[in-house]
Amino acid sequence: MRTLIVLLEIAIGALVAGAAFIFMGLYDVSATQQHLAPTFHLLQTGLRQSVKHHSSDIAVPPLDDPALIARGLAHFRSHCVQCHGAPGIAPQPFALGLRPQPANLVHSAREWSPAELFWTVKHGIKMTGMPAWRFRMMDDDIWSVVAFLRTLPTYTPEQYRTLEARAHEHRHAPPAGAPDPERGKLALTQYACTTCHAIPGVVGPDAPVGPPLENIGTREFISGGLANTPQNMVRWLRAPQAVNPLTAMPDLGVSEHDAADIAAYLETLK
Amino acid sequence: MKLVLPVVVLFALSGCGEEHTTLGGDPERGQLLLRQYGCSSCHHIPGVAGARGNVGPPLAGVARRAYLGGVLPNTPENMARWIRGPQRFDPRTPMPDMQVTEPHARDMVAYLYRER
Repeated sequence: MRTLIVLLEIAIGALVAGAAFIFMGLYDVSATQQHLAPTFHLLQTGLRQSVKHHSSDIAVPPLDDPALIARGLAHFRSHCVQCHGAPGIAPQPFALGLRPQPANLVHSAREWSPAELFWTVKHGIKMTGMPAWRFRMMDDDIWSVVAFLRTLPTYTPEQYRTLEARAHEHRHAPPAGAPDPERGKLALTQYACTTCHAIPGVVGPDAPVGPPLENIGTREFISGGLANTPQNMVRWLRAPQAVNPLTAMPDLGVSEHDAADIAAYLETLK
Repeated sequence: MKLVLPVVVLFALSGCGEEHTTLGGDPERGQLLLRQYGCSSCHHIPGVAGARGNVGPPLAGVARRAYLGGVLPNTPENMARWIRGPQRFDPRTPMPDMQVTEPHARDMVAYLYRER
């Protein structure tokens, strides 16, 4: 009984200390302050294990086609080099201030399996700055990046520069299906909607930059007198400033497919 | 650390005797006026009876909202101007000019800014 009370006291003490640490702001969130070594290694291990676990069921297609590799290089040059650099090429200055620092992909390509690379590019990694590309690239485009990454460790810096200069990007437009509200709910988090709107069912900062979207499904108007119909919502989501040139809402490059899914989710908020 | 709790309590209490209101308006009168000018038929407004309209956006927490009508930076002064003539700031807005007088607009702003 005595031991139980002591244990309980220790547990409560730990909780209070933890709460004080969080609420008094003692933890240093700055990107100039590296984690302590044990924390760093724990986070690294957690990340690695999570990627391994979540990518274990992915079937890897053939990745040796030179055309596929060339397509991947074009995506790599447009979307990866800025933060990760390439053989003989440094990341952009802004990326040097990121913490954790974006991985050197020559190393990643040597150490990570194609399925792990695919999963990471597609889904991104929370709290690291690695974005999810799922709503910006088709799966076979992501596989092309993986196909290229596999060849990355084989180039000299000079070979890389020569290849890069010849790369051409081909973008695949995502095919539209029937509007899917569940996918739309996910898409809301992938177009930064929650940085300006509170949206029921979606966890986010709830920053009231624009109006809250509670009951948006039954709201009469969208903006600038645009009647709230599913078609109009898609129009608004894709090009708000074409509907109302004065609006503070930017064009977020939402595809037709994603806009239809987002509109389908918003329609359910009644 | 010992000082923190009493200080927080003091701050909370000091709010009760608040003399300064936003734009010097009367929040109690503003609350009434929001109904008298028909605002409630289009907006959901906390504390205003019958204000369950969903034609325009809900006004809960509107004091913290960054833009009015999605176009005008939100300050108390701008909110009073917006209430008095929304179409001056966005010709396409469906919100009509309700002929709100300047003092009445200040009262409404005082109420909407008090309800954070």
